[in-house]
Amino acid sequence: MLKCEMNGSQVKVFGKAIQALSRVSDELWLDPSEKGLALRSMNSSRSAYGCVLFSPVFFQHYQWSTSMKMNDDDRPLNLNCKLGMKSILPIFRCLTSLERNVEKCKIFTRSDKCKVVIQFFCRHGIKRTHNVCFQESQPLQVIFEKNMCNNTLMIQPRLLAEAIVLFTSSQEEVTLAVTPLNVCLKSSSEESMDLTNSVYSEMSVDPDEFDFFQIGLDTEITFCFKELKGMLTFSEAVHVPISIHFDFPGKPMALSIDDMLLEANFILATLADDRSRASSPQSLCLSQTQKRSDLIQSNTKADKSGTSQAPECISRKTAPKRLYSRESPTNNPAGETCGNPQTKRANGGNIFEVPESSLSDTDEGPGSPYLRKAAAENN
Amino acid sequence: MKFRAKIINKGFVELFIQVSVTIAKLTKVCVLRVCQDKLCFGPTGPRATREARLWCEVSRGAFYQFNMEGVSEELNEIYLELTSEHLSRAVRNAGNAASLKLQLTNKRRPCLTVAVELASRTGHTHLMVHDLPVRVLPRRWWKEYPEPNVQVSDVSVYLPGLRTLKSIVERMANMGENVLVEANLNGKMNLSVETDVVSIKTYFKNLGNPPKSALSVTQDRDPESMVQVWVENRKLLQFFEGQQINPTMTLCNILSNTLLHLVLVHEDVSLQYFIPAL
Repeated sequence: MLKCEMNGSQVKVFGKAIQALSRVSDELWLDPSEKGLALRSMNSSRSAYGCVLFSPVFFQHYQWSTSMKMNDDDRPLNLNCKLGMKSILPIFRCLTSLERNVEKCKIFTRSDKCKVVIQFFCRHGIKRTHNVCFQESQPLQVIFEKNMCNNTLMIQPRLLAEAIVLFTSSQEEVTLAVTPLNVCLKSSSEESMDLTNSVYSEMSVDPDEFDFFQIGLDTEITFCFKELKGMLTFSEAVHVPISIHFDFPGKPMALSIDDMLLEANFILATLADDRSRASSPQSLCLSQTQKRSDLIQSNTKADKSGTSQAPECISRKTAPKRLYSRESPTNNPAGETCGNPQTKRANGGNIFEVPESSLSDTDEGPGSPYLRKAAAENN
Repeated sequence: MKFRAKIINKGFVELFIQVSVTIAKLTKVCVLRVCQDKLCFGPTGPRATREARLWCEVSRGAFYQFNMEGVSEELNEIYLELTSEHLSRAVRNAGNAASLKLQLTNKRRPCLTVAVELASRTGHTHLMVHDLPVRVLPRRWWKEYPEPNVQVSDVSVYLPGLRTLKSIVERMANMGENVLVEANLNGKMNLSVETDVVSIKTYFKNLGNPPKSALSVTQDRDPESMVQVWVENRKLLQFFEGQQINPTMTLCNILSNTLLHLVLVHEDVSLQYFIPAL
């Protein structure tokens, strides 16, 4: 049985966590334990996992007791509560007004009825009760040794947010390129090569701006921008610096924030390098299993609640090149060359001079099919 | 061919952002013509007489630095075709930029590189670089993208406040598809829409007329008589919703039953929109 209580400002942080996790997937696991209340989410392609663990001291009041029946090997049962984001997200909408109006928020579960009850005790004696039904489902968990990563960056969220606001929102994937002297965020080169009509953007952040900067391995990793933005927003709300742990391309990366009251981790898959073998799910899974089994063993020894069963590994099952499926561009300018490729370096590598030979030299007139279509759409 | 321009004045940065966003809202693909003393943004594609057309000029005065070298000495201009949305997205969040630089570059393919420099609170500067793909148009196609010629007009009148106009046009758009725009030489302008069941007419007066130019025709026209043109409401609305500039001067020229020509001017920027009659 879970029973916990929060005040207005704690509700705001709790709501922000849910909002950040909603960017990962449509489903949320509520996973209470003695360590605290964990909110977990994993997307359908298993390329992103988010977990926010609120320690018991975060709450005004936190009580977790296991049910009377135990399973065979004396391990206490989990709540196994899976909620739809669609049901829970609207409850935590308008967080600023919640913070102002809510004096107390109680969350408790009734596993006999598969319901989570969220009660807001607001000003003026108003009490709002939400009953959310949950699905019984074992939460998935990913173990990731972020301290074993070669590269760790920690930065104040405000700084990173200011920097990335200039990134155009059309980019789904970004590449983070690091060397000991430089950190650069840029559009994924795969994206800009596919479509001749896409924008390439690039931005550097000075190593001095980071609170903690450790680069053991020069590398470039590509991951989904949306999840970084989600975690960044949450990190700003909690006023805690955000850490990025990563290694080589293909190995998952972690975005985390660590505080006395809560710990949040987003584990994201990164695009595997083309040149290396195609991402071998087998090996990745295995190493995770080993780590997992170690963890489970030590858990049972210490008699902690072994929450998950067979956590899924973070790697894609097939080896598509994208993190997200993408439709082929509809108006691919087939009959058009955007500059003659041979003249790339004809001007001696001077990129600030555009030679005349780079003029479009197709026979088509000004009204090429691509443009005619665009013009037709225009009016 | 070379082109490099830089804006460091905050007001002009904002103005350039407004221009880019306006162009993106009014035309999907645009042709940027780099001239010695100005930048011109115009529409692309074959000329269809039924379309409304945009023409925007940003004069050299807005830029702190402006260098260009055209295709040749006699034809000292560059014509670039680009997707307007790319430009507006690249500059959209650059409101606090310390500087905004445009440069024609050749990185695997011709690009218009937009570099935005932001000063961060720690004293460092962040430089965000966007490479926008462009198509350099050859000289033989230049005649397809002429500067709109200054047409003779029957009447010319200053416009009332744009916000008021926009809300009126929005409401009229709900009523009917076509709107009648008329004005006279005594500073009066009317907008009307009519359906079977209702007709709405808005009267503006004391608008003032710009001084008569040598091009305006019919000197002996009765100043009270209204010059009329019917246009599609949708096109008029698209203009008012799309444009983002806060102009210091706005006026419209009407060529009777032929053309509605809207002109907005703000410092070094001028925006013209040509809406043909029905």
